[in-house]
Parts: sequence; structure tokens; C-alpha cells
Amino acid sequence: MHRGHQLRLEGITHRFGEFVAVQGIDLDIAGGEIIALLGPSGCGKSTILRIVSGFISQTQGRVMFDGEEVDHLPPNRRAVGIVFQNYALFPHMTVRQNVAFGLEAQKWQRDRIAPRVDEMLSLVHMREFAERMPRELSGGQQQRVALARCLAVDPKVLLLDEPFGALDKNLRLDMQIEVKRLQREYGITTILVTHDQEEALSMADRIAVMSRGCIEQVSSPTEIYDQPATLFVNQFVGTTNIIPGELIESDATACRVRLVTGETLEATSRPGLHAGAKVVVSIRPEHMRLQDEFVPNCMRGSVKAVLPLGPYVLYEIELGAGATIKVSAPRRAAGDSLRALGQMVHAAPAKVAACLVFPSQ
Amino acid sequence: MSQRKQTSDWEAQSVPLIFGVLTTVAIVFLIAPTLIVLVTSFTDSQSLKFPPEGLSFRWYLALLDADQMQRAAWNSLVVAFWTTILSVVLGTAAAIAMARSRNSWIRVADALFMSPLVLPALAFGFAALIFVHQIGFRPNIPFLVLGHVIVCVPFVLRTTIAALSQLDSSLLDASYSLGASWWMTFHRVTLPLIGRGIGAGAFLAFMASFDNVPVSLFLADERTEVLPIHLWQQIETNLDVRTAAVSGLIIIITLILMIIAERLAGLTRQLR
Repeated sequence: MHRGHQLRLEGITHRFGEFVAVQGIDLDIAGGEIIALLGPSGCGKSTILRIVSGFISQTQGRVMFDGEEVDHLPPNRRAVGIVFQNYALFPHMTVRQNVAFGLEAQKWQRDRIAPRVDEMLSLVHMREFAERMPRELSGGQQQRVALARCLAVDPKVLLLDEPFGALDKNLRLDMQIEVKRLQREYGITTILVTHDQEEALSMADRIAVMSRGCIEQVSSPTEIYDQPATLFVNQFVGTTNIIPGELIESDATACRVRLVTGETLEATSRPGLHAGAKVVVSIRPEHMRLQDEFVPNCMRGSVKAVLPLGPYVLYEIELGAGATIKVSAPRRAAGDSLRALGQMVHAAPAKVAACLVFPSQ
Repeated sequence: MSQRKQTSDWEAQSVPLIFGVLTTVAIVFLIAPTLIVLVTSFTDSQSLKFPPEGLSFRWYLALLDADQMQRAAWNSLVVAFWTTILSVVLGTAAAIAMARSRNSWIRVADALFMSPLVLPALAFGFAALIFVHQIGFRPNIPFLVLGHVIVCVPFVLRTTIAALSQLDSSLLDASYSLGASWWMTFHRVTLPLIGRGIGAGAFLAFMASFDNVPVSLFLADERTEVLPIHLWQQIETNLDVRTAAVSGLIIIITLILMIIAERLAGLTRQLR
């Protein structure tokens, strides 16, 4: 098992005419690491994918594999494997011919090709489908074949372009586990391009969240979720409540915010934000508790909607000044009674660390 | 309320009725002449009378001795063959170049390539004759082929561009990313997937060349006389019944070819 190749993007900027698709992208990906490029459509993640694979040449910056620049190499000599969103299996070839295609392209000896194809098909549990045509396979099976075809030629880097988007939910989870297993087994450096936060959170070692051609934050999944660097990251990954307010006081660790509702709330301080600054406070629904009694550091409101979602109940709470928040409460035991519509409640953050402040935009 | 219901009932029935009648009329006009020629070709008399008084194969048998007609038919086949080959090569190459490019002058090139379908072929034939004389040649088979190629390339171009637009570009990306060269991608991925489109275009080009009159009229002389022109002259001068037999033969062969093409490649699907 090899350790995987290191991939480095250095100051990548790409323009399509006047339009800046990506700007100043710096990214270091360790050998064998799986990193997710996460962002809404049009954020530039697909452009990065096409730059790494060599289908477009960036306006500025360098792409390096193991410290060596690869920008002069055309796509067919970059050794970058791609699993496409629609799998892109050659429809006129059998599964075996599809997997053998790359080996033939790379001039493998004829007698070594068949055993390699069998090996790859066994790896993805598709050996008995070798003589089928792609149209005779289900989405998940096609994806396995696409993966086998890609890995057969032993690429330096694996690019997964929205690979699970076309699969239904249960199959998606199975394939995510499968792909992660193969990726670990092969120790292949992988970039996963996706707009699906769950996919990124579950698959990646690190996530690079992108917006409008720039990387907003590169961190581990838990850090992205718990300590988002920007309001965009906070809102794009997971759901959160945003309440405007004004910073009253702030020290190195904690700060106090006067909310538009008139209440004050303690939150984690953010460097660069000082007393008097217009801010928004962000608290995730699952980081709040509903109480009947007033407690310090809470927000008072009335229950406006109750959505029992199985393992938890989602409440919508109407605060003063037109602000509403969502609070999700776990159901600890069957038969727990739900709160009634119109009931007055107090919503309190579980921890100060759960309250984040961002500069108001 | 019931008034309105009646109206809509009438509409619901009349629309299919009108379309049905129109379609039937169209089909009758399409098929009737072909059937009449076909039936007449089996006549046993000396005239092109319809309906024939008796039936026989005598005019088909007469074709076996019709040297001039056979030479004209052979010329037509040779010209159609080379026209098809050249049209496929040029049309496919042009289609691939044009489909890959995002350049705006491509639209101009496309319009130019398609212009033979719109411009009167008669004018083109005449112009071609003047041109050939200008550069100091007499019309001959190669020039006739060139003339046909110009009016036949659009068929190949259209069907190939249509096939290319159906081609998923991620298949080509997949091929390159697996290490394949442009050439390998072309003959292992592109060509097999657009082959039916090219085949449909080739079939149309062959038929268009085989029964082309306007260009052949100017670019063919007595030595290089092609079948459609020869048939026209026979009818004009002596109402030769053998022309009906030739027409019958062409109709039957075309039908057989169409059935084969439909079976092999789904011709009509490619033309949509």
C-alpha cells in the first residue's frame, strides 16, 4: 500500500473572460487524505476540479503533485482519476471493456490486462457483472464500475465529482461507506466535490468550504460545524438561528450581546469585534434548551409551530421584535408530552460555546 | 353547460378527424405515383398505359440488353459511391470541428455548409460548369463527384452534428483522464457512438447523389451520362417502357436498403 501523493494548489485564480471563477486558492492536501470541496453551485469547486485534472488551464497559480508542477501536462498524462456525477461509463462497451480501457490506453501488456480487470472488479464486488452492458446496471453498480475503471490505472489523485448525487438515500449511505473503504485501502489522495454537507461531513478528513470562488475555511468536519470561521460557513453547514444585536462588552474568551429582542446573551468572543459593534448571534437549534422558568441568559417567546420529526421535535419560537428561532428538543422517552402552541417558554443556549458572534453584514 | 360540453365534444372529435384526413391525403399523394410506376413497369404492352392490360416481366428482362442504360446506371453508382465516401469524410470532420468549437465564426461556416440545401441546385450546377471551363477542363467524372459532394455534404453534416450533440462530453473527459490519446478517444469512443448518425447521413448522401438531376445536368456529358438524366431523355424522346422498369427497380432496391438501414441503425431515429 502506497502512502498516496501529495497535492498542492498554489495561488490558483481562473477567469472566464470578465468572470472570476476562482480566486487565490491555496490548498495543501496530504498524501492519502480525502478532502471535500463544499459549496453551493457556482462557487468554483467544479472549476478547481477541471484545473486539477488538466481540462482547463488556470489563469494564474500552480498545481503540484509531490512538489512537482504538472501544469504543462495534458489531462491524459496527469494520472488523475475522475468519477463523474453520471459515472460516464462507455455505453457501447461491457463492464470488462470499460475497466480495461484505461489499461489499454496506458499500453499495458495484453496478458496482464485481464487479471487486473478481474482484480478491480472483485474489489468493488462486480466480478459477476463483467460481461454486462452499463445500461443493464443499477446506479450503485455503475458507480462501482466507474470506480474500478478509475482505480485500475493507479492514478495519483482521485477526483469525485458529486458522486452520490444520483443515488437514492439508502444506497447513497452504502456507497459512501464503500468508497471510503476503498479510499482508505488504496491510500489514494482524494478530492470530493459536493454541495451536500452531509456527504462532506461523513466522508472527508478535512472540508474546504467555498463561496464565490474563494475558500472560506479549511478544517476538520467537527471544527467546520462547531467553530465556523465565517457566517457563510455557519449557515451553509447545518442549520442555525441568526439573531441581530449589538456587542456590549467583550474580553478574550466571552462577550455580551444586547439582542434586538431587548434581552442580553453571553457568547463566545471573536477577535476583532469590540463593544458597540453591530453583530449577529448564531445558535444552532440543537444547542438550545426550552425551559418553563426564567433562567439567566435566555430568550423569552411563545411556541408558534411544533414539528415532531421522530427522534426529536422541532419548535418554532416567536421572540420579541419579529425574530423567530428554531429549537430542536430530543425525545428522551416515548410518550413525552410536547409543548402546546402559544405556550410561553424560555430558550437558553446549552453552553456559552454554542453562541457564536459574527460581524453584521 | 350542456351546450359547452357539446362544443368541446365536437372539437375533441373534429381535430383528430381533420388531421386524419390530411394525413391520409398526404400519404396517398406520396405513395400513389410510386405505386402507379411500379404497377406500370410490369405491363406486357408497348405503352406506359395505366392500368396495364396484362402483366409480365418483359421490360425487366429487356433491361439486361439495355447497354446505354446499364452504362448510365453504372456511372450513377460510381459517382454516388465516391460522393458518399468523400461526403462522409468531409462532413464528419467538419461536424467534429464545428461541434467542439465555441467560436462565433462557426455559425457562418455552418450556414455556408448548409447553403447547398437552400440555394437552387440548378444555379450551382450552371456555376460549376462555368467554373470547370474557366480553369480549362471538360466535365468528367471527378468533377461530377465534386459537384455532388457539395450538395451532399450537408446531409452528413446535419446527422453527424445531431449525433455529436447527443454525445455526453463527460465520456470524452473520462477517456482522456484514463490516459487515452485524442486518436484513441476518437476511434474507440466518439466514432462508435456517432456511427449511426454518420451512417444515416451516408445513406441520405448516397440517395441524393444517385438521383441528382440539377448538378448532373450541367456537369455530365454523353460519355458520363448518369441514370436520372438518361431516363429523362428516354421518356422525352420515345416513351420507353424500360424507364418504368428501371424506376421499379430503384424503388424496390431503395425499399430494401431502407429496411436494412432501419434494422441496423434505426435510420428514422437518426433523422429526428
